[in-house]
Amino acid sequence: MNLEAFQNRVLPAKNKLFRFALRFLGNEEEAKDVVQEVFIRVWNGREQMNEVENWEAWCMRITRNLSLDRIRSINRKQTQPIEASFDVKLETLTPHESTEAHESMQKITQLIAALPEKQRQVIHLRDVEGYSYNEICDILEIDMNQVKVNLFRARNAVREKLMKINAYGL
Amino acid sequence: MDSKNINALLEKYWNCETSLEEEQQLKAYFRGKEIPEQLKETAVLFQYFDEHKKKNLNDSGFDQEVLSRVKSPKQGKVTRLMYNTMRIAAGIAVLVIATVLVRNEIRKTNPVAVEDTYDDPKLAFEETKKALMMISKSFGTAQDKAKKINMFNEAQKSVQKDDEDTKAKL
Repeated sequence: MNLEAFQNRVLPAKNKLFRFALRFLGNEEEAKDVVQEVFIRVWNGREQMNEVENWEAWCMRITRNLSLDRIRSINRKQTQPIEASFDVKLETLTPHESTEAHESMQKITQLIAALPEKQRQVIHLRDVEGYSYNEICDILEIDMNQVKVNLFRARNAVREKLMKINAYGL
Repeated sequence: MDSKNINALLEKYWNCETSLEEEQQLKAYFRGKEIPEQLKETAVLFQYFDEHKKKNLNDSGFDQEVLSRVKSPKQGKVTRLMYNTMRIAAGIAVLVIATVLVRNEIRKTNPVAVEDTYDDPKLAFEETKKALMMISKSFGTAQDKAKKINMFNEAQKSVQKDDEDTKAKL
């Protein structure tokens, strides 16, 4: 792969990768750093890329691994309790978004953020990015059953909360 | 799409039985304005998915930064050079140590055979002669010393003889 192909084919995936990294890290700067590192890795490993069936899933997988590494190193550096590090992942909304987002949107945001990590990843990949089950298997390196179970649990947790909101206005 | 269809599709969605196309239909539907009251919260969920898909890495210099880092992997050049040198040095060190050990082992098992030190037979002959001469010379001096010891022996014998003679006379 030459530089031009890299620029035209791989770089445009940056937003997807960025959103995925943001899902893990909850911090735009960190997510940007991760995406940059992903591209450098992809470039350095470009010889392998011909063997990779789905390079986008491959990029996503690298993003996931690097994001997890970074979460680990953040936790190590700050030696904060695990509970505290979960808060990092709560979506940070820019002022523009927060004025725009109404109350129920914020509720949904909190609701999704409160899901267990794997469910959050699966629901993001499926419902936000629109990946197929097979691609999600590839990205998260888990089997089809786990993808389906996690998606099912995530959607049902969301559905239950939505029903509660509907019924009691919570 | 009427609400009956939507409800059926939503049911499929909650059970994770929808295809990607059907999920797109749902998203498209909830983007619309006329949504029944009881589906308002669900609509927000789908809007949330849409909203998150819009989130981009808004950094105009990002591509350039990645490309420049990809083009010139300057940092790390020195480390890579060091790394390679160290690798080669380590290889050589292992070889040297191995040779020394093997040589010692071989020397222990079969003691050193006399090595030829002279190439020229004439010179070798001269050297041998010199060595033999040295030995014979030392033999000569040793013989002289031995003769002196012989003298003592003879003296002792004559003394003994004299003793015996005087005893016989008495």
